[in-house]
Amino acid sequence: MKIEVLEMSDRFAKFVLSDASIAFANGLRRAMLAEVPTLAITEVNLYNNTSVLYDEQLGLRLSLIPIKANTDELVPKEECMCDDNCPACEVSMTLSAEGPKMVYSGDFVSSDPEIFPSDENIPIVELKDGQQLFLEALAHVGHGKNHSRWQAGIACGYKTYPVVTFHNCDKCRSCIEACPKDIIQMGPSGAEIQDNDMLECTLCRSCADVCGINAITVDQDERAFIFNVESDGSYSAEELIQQASKALKKKSDGMLEVLEHF
Amino acid sequence: MIPVRCFSCGGVIANKWEEFKRRVYEGESSDTILDDLRVTRYCCRRMMLSHVELVDTIAPYY
Repeated sequence: MKIEVLEMSDRFAKFVLSDASIAFANGLRRAMLAEVPTLAITEVNLYNNTSVLYDEQLGLRLSLIPIKANTDELVPKEECMCDDNCPACEVSMTLSAEGPKMVYSGDFVSSDPEIFPSDENIPIVELKDGQQLFLEALAHVGHGKNHSRWQAGIACGYKTYPVVTFHNCDKCRSCIEACPKDIIQMGPSGAEIQDNDMLECTLCRSCADVCGINAITVDQDERAFIFNVESDGSYSAEELIQQASKALKKKSDGMLEVLEHF
Repeated sequence: MIPVRCFSCGGVIANKWEEFKRRVYEGESSDTILDDLRVTRYCCRRMMLSHVELVDTIAPYY
């Protein structure tokens, strides 16, 4: 298995995974979307809410705010050994504001300084003159498969690596005009696509269809995948990929354990 | 209020709303702002483009 990183920023990643099966690539994609443990608000104790939003609407908005935390130190509530709640499975955050004011996710006061909303500028509600908001939010660890509030990977996807080849090109240029991505260029021995541009190919076959002498073959390498990964901010893109791999490893370790005790 | 996440993909969009709104008022064209903010998918773009702020409309009746 080989990985070639094309882009790795805080929230975005693009890489080519080669020498891997479709099953593995899809497993990794699904793990990023559904199996990465994250922290999200699941319960809200409202002490005062005179804002324009109902309590339930407010609760929904709060739950969808991504929270940055070290989830290795936290456990999901159903796996925790405690009776009701403890610092290992529950994090409390309070919010207190009085209008006129726009309440932002950054106004939360967390009980743990290491745990805070990953974006400070998410507007929660606009308070008009005299309106008040006072609440305690309880955050728990969960997985994306249960609710979108825990979904750390956003629209993570892959496509197979495109392989476009030209044989005996007669330099008629019709494929260059047909390509919707404008990646085909005229080289010395006929039409060609540069290696970097090949990543842009969507395998639409417009070039092959328009070619009068069938000089173009559009194929795909089913052992190489171009991944696009986006994080919601609760992890960096790099951590998200690591956490997804960890989740896959944990699952196969669980399988191994079951088989050993069979 | 702008939804916190995109309805379709779950991407966080609310953190980009205020900058988007300010730059639209300043006269920039919305497509270049969205490209600039890396709101690339059309599901997230429609969230921003089609959003209507209703807080000020509702507030007098509270």
